[in-house]
Amino acid sequence: MSQKRYILVIDSRKCINCKACIVACRAENRVPLGHSRDRINEERRGSFPVLLATFEPEQCHHCENPSCVRVCPTGASHRRDDGIVLVTDDTCIGCRYCMVSCPYNARFFREDRGVVEKCSLCSHRLDRGELPACVQTCPSKVRACGDIADPESEVSRLLDKREYRVKNPQTGNAPQIYYLL
Amino acid sequence: MIRKLDPNPKNPKSRGMLCARGNAGLLQVYDPKRIKKPLIRAGARGEGKWREVSWDEAFDYTANKLKEIKLKHGPQGVLWSSTEAFAEVFFKNLGLAFGSPNIVRHPTLCLASVNLAYSVTFGAVPSFDLQNANYVIMAGANRFESFITPDTMDLIDSTMNRKTRLVYLDPRFTVTAAKADEWYPIKPGSDLAFILALVHVIIAEGRHDKEFVKTYCQGFDQLAEHVKKYSPEWAGNETEIAAANIVRIAREFSDAAPRALFYSGRRSSWYRNDFQMRRAQAILNAIVGNWDKQGGVVPNSKIALGEFLYLPWDDPEAPRIDEMDKNFPLAAKSDGAYLKLRENVLAANPYPVKGWMICKQDPLSALPDQSKTMRMVEQMDFIATIDIQMSDTAWYADVVLPESTYLERQDPVEVLAGIWPVVVMRQPVVKPVHDTKPCLDIVQGIAKRLDLGMYFDYTIDQWNEAAVKELPLDAPMDYLRNHGVYTPPGGPNYGATLNPDHRFVTQSGKIEIFSDRLKEFGHDPLPVYQPPEQPPAGSFRMLVGRKAYFTHANSSSNPWLLDFAPENFLWINPKSASHAGIADGELVEVSSSAGSAKLRARLTEHIRPDCVSMLHGFGKRSQWLTRAYNRGGNDAAVLENGWDGVSGNAAMHETFVKVRKA
Amino acid sequence: MPHIEWGFLIVNYLFLGGLSAGLFFVSAFALYLQQKDPAYERLARYSALLAPWPVALGSSLLILDLGNWYRFYVLFLHFRWQSPMSIGSWLLVLFTGITLVYLWSWLPQDHRTGLLRRLKLPPSLNRELSHLRPLLAAIGFPFSIGVAIYTGVLLGAVQARPFWNTNLVAQMFLFSALSSGCAVLILVLSLRPKLLEPAQIRFLYMLDIFLITLEFFIVLPYLIHGQLSVQAVRDSLELILGGPFTVAFWLLFLGLGLLLPLLIEIFETVPALFSKAEIHHNRRLAVLNAALVLFGGYMLRYIFVYAGQISAFR
Repeated sequence: MSQKRYILVIDSRKCINCKACIVACRAENRVPLGHSRDRINEERRGSFPVLLATFEPEQCHHCENPSCVRVCPTGASHRRDDGIVLVTDDTCIGCRYCMVSCPYNARFFREDRGVVEKCSLCSHRLDRGELPACVQTCPSKVRACGDIADPESEVSRLLDKREYRVKNPQTGNAPQIYYLL
Repeated sequence: MIRKLDPNPKNPKSRGMLCARGNAGLLQVYDPKRIKKPLIRAGARGEGKWREVSWDEAFDYTANKLKEIKLKHGPQGVLWSSTEAFAEVFFKNLGLAFGSPNIVRHPTLCLASVNLAYSVTFGAVPSFDLQNANYVIMAGANRFESFITPDTMDLIDSTMNRKTRLVYLDPRFTVTAAKADEWYPIKPGSDLAFILALVHVIIAEGRHDKEFVKTYCQGFDQLAEHVKKYSPEWAGNETEIAAANIVRIAREFSDAAPRALFYSGRRSSWYRNDFQMRRAQAILNAIVGNWDKQGGVVPNSKIALGEFLYLPWDDPEAPRIDEMDKNFPLAAKSDGAYLKLRENVLAANPYPVKGWMICKQDPLSALPDQSKTMRMVEQMDFIATIDIQMSDTAWYADVVLPESTYLERQDPVEVLAGIWPVVVMRQPVVKPVHDTKPCLDIVQGIAKRLDLGMYFDYTIDQWNEAAVKELPLDAPMDYLRNHGVYTPPGGPNYGATLNPDHRFVTQSGKIEIFSDRLKEFGHDPLPVYQPPEQPPAGSFRMLVGRKAYFTHANSSSNPWLLDFAPENFLWINPKSASHAGIADGELVEVSSSAGSAKLRARLTEHIRPDCVSMLHGFGKRSQWLTRAYNRGGNDAAVLENGWDGVSGNAAMHETFVKVRKA
Repeated sequence: MPHIEWGFLIVNYLFLGGLSAGLFFVSAFALYLQQKDPAYERLARYSALLAPWPVALGSSLLILDLGNWYRFYVLFLHFRWQSPMSIGSWLLVLFTGITLVYLWSWLPQDHRTGLLRRLKLPPSLNRELSHLRPLLAAIGFPFSIGVAIYTGVLLGAVQARPFWNTNLVAQMFLFSALSSGCAVLILVLSLRPKLLEPAQIRFLYMLDIFLITLEFFIVLPYLIHGQLSVQAVRDSLELILGGPFTVAFWLLFLGLGLLLPLLIEIFETVPALFSKAEIHHNRRLAVLNAALVLFGGYMLRYIFVYAGQISAFR
């Protein structure tokens, strides 16, 4: 079997800012209170009655060329062969260089353990064939997660037929969240 | 220990998803400030001093108090109020077996006007087939923000895939407004004018479904005559929606019919004319012939459940305290009319009510005009609350009986209605963490001591066995235990009533556009527009709203949810705020004739300058709701008392408030 | 929204690391000049004695700043050439070691004996190393430059923060560090009862004028280069050109911390610049001047650490 490579495809237009993804992640990953591994960016423009509001879910972009992994002095931040970027708790010394280096502010410092934490794309769930918690729980099915190396996967098909963008490609991180236009 | 809740993939209602609340539900079980044992009040009411007691003591105490009241004031002297819950039936039955006619439920704080309007028109309460509609008009029903249900999922999917055109009216720019194809900040209270003008255009241009109207409806000609005066130009003035848009929407709507519908919403407790406004929506839907068609307004299919044959009790002798027969003869009598009921309890008219049994409900937060509810609390000799957490009302009760949470108890089997109904059974996933009981056990404990035990001589399993007996399954209980849900084969059903011989459950047996029955009871047989009163200069109309991550006023203390809105804000348009000299984030006092609340102002372009708005369910009084206590302002304290005259539905958007720096 | 992860502990650490690097640099330089003029001996000795302490304190602050300070040893189980922090921590520990041995080589015999006795260390360590001074200085010299540069590279290597992401930050931090080292020496020697000799103060002032000038001509291109760069960099410069750090940058760093000491130093050395006349040596002015340089160096690190973390691609 060829090497899998996981990506996220997000259709922000469908996002209704209901926060189900954030709470599902909190439950799945026991995220400490006051923190979250994913978020919904809100943008509001205009003045009454010509108004616009958009919602855009965001989390770790699981970059192909992750700056967090590069700057990590101990190798705690690492990228798996399937593209998932993870932090190993035991070797993280809590220097937070990765946080400073992340163009997406996708990481947070976990005070109780003194380590940095982030979206793991629910690698433990993917490894047993389940979708990440945020993908599964979403009422409006904003996210798709899958293997871009498989041309038949949902994510491959979405990217084949829809226009998309990635955020801040100029950082050179090669982010792997694809936002459908 | 529950680690995570996952959706049941077999349930077509949830479609493999959970909303934020669903995901956070497990924290209810492990809330350190849960009610862990039965409590009897030890200090003054609301002082927060409690004595932990055994269930026996709590039951004895409660039963004795109820007996005392019964002796002094008769069984009608005890009010039984509850809200939508699978096990609500047991609690209601206890009230009835006790002999009280005074059972009051939530609909008149919620959707009584919609239900009644559709019942009067179609003889049924329908569902709205958002999944298949191509054109949807929605007014105020903030389906993308306030409540996540299958309707939400259907609509976001079809709207965002450009299949459905969504026209949305709301004085606030909500999430639904942001996602709609068109949004109109309609002048509050003028919705009826907009609908009547749509009807006017459709009939004037001959765009109605003539065949359908002829075959199934009665009173169309009277309607045609009646709406002549409601021109789009006139409605443009009333609603502040341009006449040209009204005409275009009417044309697009009728062109898309029957896959076009006016969505009538859930909580329809807005205005004093709410019933007539919902009637107009029903009539609009009727004349374009979308009834019982894919993408239209579809009567709910039924799945018949069996009933456990318990010993029947005598009907109560006394009339209801809210005198439904006299005040709201057309409305659902068994649900009661909450606000009228409160008036009569306070006036002891026609008799005194001195005991209050409450299940899962929080009247202090749910009812407009909290000071009146507080007076009602004060005049009670005895109050007992069954709840999973220390709600504001529980905080003022004499006895608090802790119910097990939905993850710890076996609930009765229930049908979730809809175009494609399902049978669901909620089973415990953990043993009760604390000394709590399911509703039936609590009811039985009290019943036994009231010598009413024989009416509740069954177990939850016996009850459920009887309920599912008739389902077309080999071993229905086993099936439900394994799957949690039973979905009848075949999928959604359309057109069962589209047969010229079908008799609608109305007086005439037809779809009643013109209602003789309404006329008979002194109401307008066709919706007549009365311009809404407008707030005087310097005042604002107060609107209330919800976020789907809070369950009414209940879950605002959940730590996984609360950080999305740790407090509520008063939405105010910057133009209005600058007149009043109010800055963003500043503490303000909102006051009406009913009372006042203090909360911080949020200057936002997302609301009409003549309105202000706040999120429901904040400013808690109960100190056990640690994260919600005293945070933000309580809408119930500000909203004035008032209701729709036909349905008795509370009118929650009729309050004018003044706002000043606190 | 980005928020501040690295706070004052990191600012202090970057500043203190730079101080030691500067001190060692000055010491090595003075040692070299000592061959021709014994007046430099005092400079070399003082800076050698001072050099290890700021970096030792700074490194402890860095360790304190870690979420798991007791895991700091993990840093030395890995060498990751792509991580400036990994390179930096190796540099720091080696540099600190060299500065300590170098310091030892400057201690007279009786001090060594006393120290070993007080620290209960074996007397066999009491070796005369003075002949190794040139060798140690030669080895330590590139390390001192490395440490000074590294504090800038740590920030400059972060491409997610447009305010940092230029190698000019490394040069800026280098010259600022060396200048700060100089300033410490001026400060300490000016506070000693024994007056500085004209040759000594002249050396320090001339060196510092040179370093500050270089620093100034890094800051200037940093601003110009940033203005000519991509939008995100231009936006990030708004933080100092018209944002929360404008006063700190222009008044506190550039004005008080860079240009004012430069003026003082030029004023003091002017007579000596163009003739053989004696240099001014106003002791108070020297103290003020050194304090301003140190203040400027600190401000520079404060501004960069904080403003950089706020800057982001939008």
